[in-house]
Order: sequence, then structure tokens, then C-alpha cells
Amino acid sequence: MSNLVETVDLKKYFTVGKNRYLHAVDGVNLEIPEGKTLGVVGESGCGKSTLGRVVMGLLPATSGQINFDGQDIVSCSKKEFKQVRRKVQMIFQDPYSSLDPRMSIYELIAEPLIMNKVYKDKKEVLKRVQNLMDTVGLAERYINSYPHELDGGRRQRIGVARALALNPKFIVCDEPVSALDVSIQAQILNLLMDMQRDLGLTYMFITHNLAVVKHISDVIMVMYLGQCVEIAPADELFANPKHPYTQALLDAILKPVIGSSKERKLIRGEVTSPIDPPAGCRFAGRCEHCRPECTGRDIRLVDVGNEHKVACVLAGS
Amino acid sequence: MEEKKTLLEIKDLEVIYQTDEATVHAVNGINFSLNEKETIGLVGETGAGKTTTALTILRLLPERTGRIKGGQVLFRGENLLDKSVPEMRRVRGAEISIIFQDPMTALNPALTVGDQVLESLEIHNTAGKSKQELNARVDELFNLVGIPAERKAEYPHQFSGGMKQRIVIAIALACAPQLLIADEPTTALDVTIQAQVLKLMENLKEELGTSMIIITHDLGVVAETCDKVAIMYAGEIVEAGTVEDIFNGKEHHPYTVGLFNAIPNLDEKEERLRPIDGLMPDPANLPQGCKFGPRCPHFTEACKAQTPYIYEEKEHRIMCNLFKKEAADE
Repeated sequence: MSNLVETVDLKKYFTVGKNRYLHAVDGVNLEIPEGKTLGVVGESGCGKSTLGRVVMGLLPATSGQINFDGQDIVSCSKKEFKQVRRKVQMIFQDPYSSLDPRMSIYELIAEPLIMNKVYKDKKEVLKRVQNLMDTVGLAERYINSYPHELDGGRRQRIGVARALALNPKFIVCDEPVSALDVSIQAQILNLLMDMQRDLGLTYMFITHNLAVVKHISDVIMVMYLGQCVEIAPADELFANPKHPYTQALLDAILKPVIGSSKERKLIRGEVTSPIDPPAGCRFAGRCEHCRPECTGRDIRLVDVGNEHKVACVLAGS
Repeated sequence: MEEKKTLLEIKDLEVIYQTDEATVHAVNGINFSLNEKETIGLVGETGAGKTTTALTILRLLPERTGRIKGGQVLFRGENLLDKSVPEMRRVRGAEISIIFQDPMTALNPALTVGDQVLESLEIHNTAGKSKQELNARVDELFNLVGIPAERKAEYPHQFSGGMKQRIVIAIALACAPQLLIADEPTTALDVTIQAQVLKLMENLKEELGTSMIIITHDLGVVAETCDKVAIMYAGEIVEAGTVEDIFNGKEHHPYTVGLFNAIPNLDEKEERLRPIDGLMPDPANLPQGCKFGPRCPHFTEACKAQTPYIYEEKEHRIMCNLFKKEAADE
């Protein structure tokens, strides 16, 4: 199976003040095989959304490579990139702010088709819009409605229809269900999974909700302060978390069962600053297993078998 | 079993929002009671009337549109709805306080966090304590919620989300209220920080003996913190009971069943989730009879005709006609 998306040592730094850098994404290597889903989890500020935006080409990478279908999109020309852009789409987090309130549903879904001059005939555009609305489960009577007339779930369906309009191969879903109620969240997750099955889509699914990520992903990457600390197939990660941060994350999940976790281990402190972090494990300051070898040098991902990689000095020992 | 004192009792509470275009029926005759040192969870989706209920208890409904149509809010036997505005002001913050959902917007960005904690102490300073005593209490509160007291001279933007929520909790607890209402206290926080904040609230409850109303849509939070649960749908409590009744009981309202089914299960691999069909009804135009009827898999004509049957077993209450049939069969 070939990889549709690959990144090599991808970095994105933001300048903060004079000569200080915020390491939002710091040397991420990932591979997403065609038709599969990579889940990216982490807390706010860990760089998961920035990673999604850089992979999409919405933000320029500081260094590293992004290979899409064998083509490096960091170094390619604008013209070449425009071709790639049609195959890469994004579903945004908040369906309340990501849709232009002055555009009707028809205009919103037709926008990518018109921008890219896909059809010559307006009737064909209308047909495609109707077809897309049907695919994502929006009744045709909404075609002339405006976003404020619809609820969150239906609005997010518009977001999905817009992303699907140009027949993309790869969709970055940035917290697509976080703003929705549980019963609606389940509808959208089912829709995304049906789309993947029917259209062979590849997803990068960014979320902080661990139950959702386990449900939808084939492989899960755990990020902490711009770095990948652990990556493994979904079931393997949940059954056998190796990194102390992953263990703490899984431990912090509140299950809807009484008395499930009275003896919860809490990690102390909060995420440290991503501005010019010192070399070494970035979780060290909050880690209960922290030892001298954790600091001073960067910790590399180590393969521990079962396609499971961990960046921790404890791994493998 | 020790005798429990009722702290708060809500009877047939009905609240509407009156706008030029429509009358929105936000809360439609709900009843629940809360004993001292107990925690009740109000669970439901957006628009179920959870926050409206909380605002009504504190009489903080928007002045222009919010109307309390009927019912009583009895706090230690006194009806809060009969109180005058100055009387109500003495209750808020001192006896009942509230933690709002979003700590980022609940704090004043132009005041230091220490001053914001001090503010409610000064307002409710009926004992005439000196400035030093009040400041000592501020330090004590910062320690209580796990923030170094030296940081009280800093401004909200210098704190992270979890820290801000701790400050909001410190403000709410400043006057040692008997009832704390927490409106989605952890929704805006990350999981590891959520665990810390819930642990903090749990400890405070044990130390101070405060009763709590926790408003949430997260059943995980409820399982972790609550003694009692009320599931709200379209302004009604469709099911209520002890946390055991809701999580381990056999009988449930179809909406409760739907809510549980819609959450991805961490322990089992399911191919598809089972969402609840349809949407929450428009509160300006509620269906006749059972409000959940149009989305319910067990819907019958009888559900449309009249308000549903109320099934009761000890503290467990379910508003659904399904249980009426069973009662008739026996």
C-alpha cells in the first residue's frame, strides 16, 4: 500500500518578538496510506491544528518536506501547487464561524466549483450541488437557505459538502465534531466514515477527544508541544500506551460508568512554553519518571514492534 | 441513614423567552430537589434548558425577554422568586454562586485576579472585616484552588485556561456559599486539566460541604462527580434519579438510551455509531404530548395525545408512556 501523504522532518516556527521562535511543529514525520485515517491527538497548544494547516499548505512550512502523492508541495511552484490544492481539502472546527453568513447554501457549496471553473454550464453546477447535498444528507429544500437558519449538525454537513465538491483525495478534519452535541456528533462521524468507504478518502483527523479518535482512526499520533511522542495503530495505542504522557491522557478520560476510575493518576502542572524549548524531552517537567538522561538531548522515536513508536527513554527497556 | 436536609427545591418551574417573533418555551414545568452536601447533574443537549434553569435560580435571566411564568424556587424554604432585587443581591455570591462555562470570558481583563476575588468579599462583607483580614482570605482562597498567592497581582491574560477556571472557582467560593452552580465547568478545558479541576471541586465539596448543581452534556463528568442526575430534553426533565439509577438501572427513557448509544465506546469496537434520529424540536414550536415523540423509536399515537405517563420507583422518575403499558399488563 502506498502512502498518499508523507512528511519528513516537518517544522513550523512562528517568530515571537525579536529572534525568539515558537516551535509549533517541530520535526514531525508521518505517513498516511491511501484510504486510511490518521488521528492526531493532543491538548490545546500542542501544534495539532498548525500541523493540519501546514500539511494543507495553508501555512508555509519552515523546513522539511510534505509529499502528496509523490510530489513535494513545500518546494513546488505556485502553479503546481494549485493542481494539488484541488485534491486536498479541509473541514473546519466551528460550523458557526466557518461559513459566510451572507451566502446561501447553494452559493456556499457551489463556490469551490465556480472558483476552479469545473463546469462551463450553470445547470451542471446546480446538478452537482444537488448531488452533493444528497450525499451529505441535506434535504434539497434547504438549497436557498442561509447558514443561520440551520442547526450545527446541518451546518457541519455543508462544511463536508464544500470539502467534497472537488472530489479530493485527502481531507484534513480539524476538530469537525467538537462544537456539536453528542447525538449530532455521532451523525457526522457516521457520515465521514461512510464517505471514506464509498469514495476511498484519506483523512487526517485532528481532535482532543480520545473516544472519537479511537472510533475513527486506523493509526493515532499523540503530539506534545510540537513533537510526536507516540504513534501506533489505534487498538495497540489504547491497549498498550508506552509514553507517560499518553498514559496520562488515557487515564484522564472520564468514562460514562460509575466508579470506573476513582484511583486516577493526575499529571501535575500544565503544558510548558513552546517558545525556544530546551533540548530534551518536552514532557520531562511534568513526568513522574523523569531522570537525568531525559534532558540535554532530543529523544528520538524508537520502534517497539507492532508498528508502535515511542519517544521516551523508558521505551524498550 | 442520616436525616438529610433539603437545601433547594424547584417546583413546577416554567420559563419563557418572549421576543417579538415568538415565545420560546425554554423550561416547561420542572421539579427537582437537592439536599445538603449533594451534587446533582443536569444533563442534556444544547437548548434543553439547563442554563436557563441555572439563571432562573439566581434570577439572572435577561431582563427584556426572560419571563418566569410560574413555579417556585425554594432555597432553605424561602421562595427566591418572591425576593426583592436588593435581597436577591445578598443571596448571589454569598449563598448561591455560579461558575460560568468559559473562564476566558468570565474574568475582567482590566483587573488583577486578586482584586476580582476580593471584590465579592468586599460586597458581602457584612461582618465588617478589615482590609487585612479580607486580603488574608484572598490568599487562603488562592491556596485552596492551588495557585501561588504571589500571583494575585497578575492579570487574567497571564494565566492559562485551567488556571483561569481555578480563579473563577476561587471567586465563586469566596463567601463559602451553600450552593454552587457550575455551568459546564470543564467543557472549555483539556482532558488532563479537566481531571485536575474536577478533582479540585471534589475536594472542595468534601472540605466545605457545599452542595452543587453541575450542568453538563458529558456523561463521563456526571459519573465522576454527581449523586443525582436529571436528564433534560426540550425544557422538561425526562428522567431523574440517583446516579446508580441512571447508569446502572434497567429502565430508561428512550432519550437517555439514545444519549448513551451516541457516545463512542472505548472498550468495544463498533463499526457505526447509533445517533438519535432527527433534531431537538424548536422551543418556539414544541410538539404536542411527549416532546421527544417525533424522534422516538417507540412512538405511538398515544404519545402525541397527552402528556406522558410518569413512572416512579423510589427516587427514579421517568416520563414515558412505555412504562404505562407495562403497568397495565401486570
